Amino acid sequence: MAKSPILGLFKDANAAADAGDALKSSGVSENDIDFLTDAPYPEGAFGEREEKHRLYLFPFIGATLGLSAAILLTSMTQLAYPLVTGGKPILALPAMAVVSYEGTMLGAILFTCLGVIFESRLPKLKSGLYDTRITEGYIGVLASVEDGDLDQTRGILNQAGADDVKTEG
Amino acid sequence: MSSHSESHYPHDMWVFPDAQSTTQDVAGKTASTPGILKLGLAIAGVLAILGVVGFVLRMTTDGFSDYGAWGYYAAIFSYIFVITSSAPLVAVAFRLTKSHWRRPISRISELFALVGVVNVILYIPLIYLLPPINNPNFVPGMHGELQIRKTIWMEVPFGAPHLWDFLGIISLAVLSLVILWVSVVPDLAEARSSASGWRNKLYALLAGHWYGTKKQWIHQKISLALLGALYFMMVVFVHFLIVSDFAMSLIPGWKDSILPPLYTVTGFQSALSIILIIAFTMRKWGGYEKYFGTSVFWSASKIQIGLTLLWTYHLFAFFITLWYGRMELEQNILRYLMFESYSWIFWLNVIFIFLVPFWILVWNPVRKTAWGPALAGISILIGNLLFQIRMFVGAFNAGDIYHLGLFKVPPPVFPDLWDVFIVLGGIGLVAFIYLIGTRILPALAVWEVKEGAMYQKMDTLYRGEYLVLAKPE
Repeated sequence: MAKSPILGLFKDANAAADAGDALKSSGVSENDIDFLTDAPYPEGAFGEREEKHRLYLFPFIGATLGLSAAILLTSMTQLAYPLVTGGKPILALPAMAVVSYEGTMLGAILFTCLGVIFESRLPKLKSGLYDTRITEGYIGVLASVEDGDLDQTRGILNQAGADDVKTEG
Repeated sequence: MSSHSESHYPHDMWVFPDAQSTTQDVAGKTASTPGILKLGLAIAGVLAILGVVGFVLRMTTDGFSDYGAWGYYAAIFSYIFVITSSAPLVAVAFRLTKSHWRRPISRISELFALVGVVNVILYIPLIYLLPPINNPNFVPGMHGELQIRKTIWMEVPFGAPHLWDFLGIISLAVLSLVILWVSVVPDLAEARSSASGWRNKLYALLAGHWYGTKKQWIHQKISLALLGALYFMMVVFVHFLIVSDFAMSLIPGWKDSILPPLYTVTGFQSALSIILIIAFTMRKWGGYEKYFGTSVFWSASKIQIGLTLLWTYHLFAFFITLWYGRMELEQNILRYLMFESYSWIFWLNVIFIFLVPFWILVWNPVRKTAWGPALAGISILIGNLLFQIRMFVGAFNAGDIYHLGLFKVPPPVFPDLWDVFIVLGGIGLVAFIYLIGTRILPALAVWEVKEGAMYQKMDTLYRGEYLVLAKPE
């Protein structure tokens, strides 16, 4: 059966956390419950699941590629024009340092920017269920439940102290 | 907003904004343009036009072949660049160190990303002005002449220095814009419901994906931390490139490891200063007094005085290295930049960037005001401009750059009318773009202020009333 979103609006953060617990007790998966807020609440404030992310991978991959490209560029240039300067070796690291650092940084920056966009799953063409009262400090408890369970979920949210409960359409 | 009159601190030391009304209040302020702001925009616009006139006339009278005539242009580019590229760091650094007082000034700092585009545009003429690294007139055996002038680009790798400098400046501009976007998205998403017309379309385009889920907040936090760390690593490096390529390498015989850190410290000191001036202005005349407690200025002023002392230490280290060496060529550099040609600019530079702000900020009661750090900031900005003129006008007019050293102390170069136009125009252009930016994007990080309000309250301990601050991380 298809799943539909349902949003409960709470003035009190404790009530929102209780609603989350009640939904979990009723069998709604932790992955189908989300909390919408106007400011970042501390992690675990609503007893929610731990969110995983892979953002830190992007700068590492970018930095590695950037450094490799910079080393290739500088070493190949030096080998292509083998001029001995001041008795220094042809492949001298100090001469490669500036370009290597910048190459590393450019790679890391580019990949991190792409990573931010990718991890945000942009662009998003479909808008979700929302209420502007969240901008005034209300907490939204968003659950994704099977169509047949919408009434039961509405009851749980109301019982937990929701000021309003909204569904799509 | 609750009061804390029993506290032994001034009544406006800490403020507790009402989270419910903040979004609407700030959105309303962003959408309106009061008369004083219109006047500011008009003045900035006129100055910017003067700058364009000065630039065109400089170009038609001197062209790009004589780079010496462009010393003041290089100075104003450097002035704008070093301040505006450092400014986003204030938000980045104090967010990383979890300094709660930074919340109201974070967006002021991030909005300087919009000026990053100006930096890129202003840099383009300098690409044509920077003389070649290889001596075009070199003849083997020529006395005192170098085949390759002193430069950080040893072996002159592909694209050096123009391409790498340009990539550095562009990457800073892009990175700061991404930081601004990641930070401003929650505020735009909240404001989109009340915005109309083009503002609504723009906010929906930039922040249509944002609903404030836990996952989105965590991604935002991690993204800001990663991008901020990269920005810090890049901005220091690009400062090193600009001051080395456009100042140090253009004065023959000048080799100095202190100059790049001195340049960066100047940038940090000035960036914090301009942010405090804007914060003071917003608080005093912009209707933002309920978001800016005096604690913001008090806390920032301690960093400001630290940076002021650090600047002076670097200046002393710069001086003592060359002075201690007792080499005539290096003594000539000191005579040129400090004690003969540009001596009066040097002393004014020291007075404005060190003595005046130090004397203001050394007093704790003054540090506890909003006007004290802002006043010190104005002095620091004047001092910085004099520093840039000394360094870059000096470097652009130091004579034969392929010589082994500075054999003669060149005379100072004073500005003509076009130079004055260019300097004023650069400042006007930055002010114009920044002010326009504050009409499009909220000048206060609403989500950050709301988060801060959640974590603090006044409470009593025995007979005193104190700020209680929660630190969940």
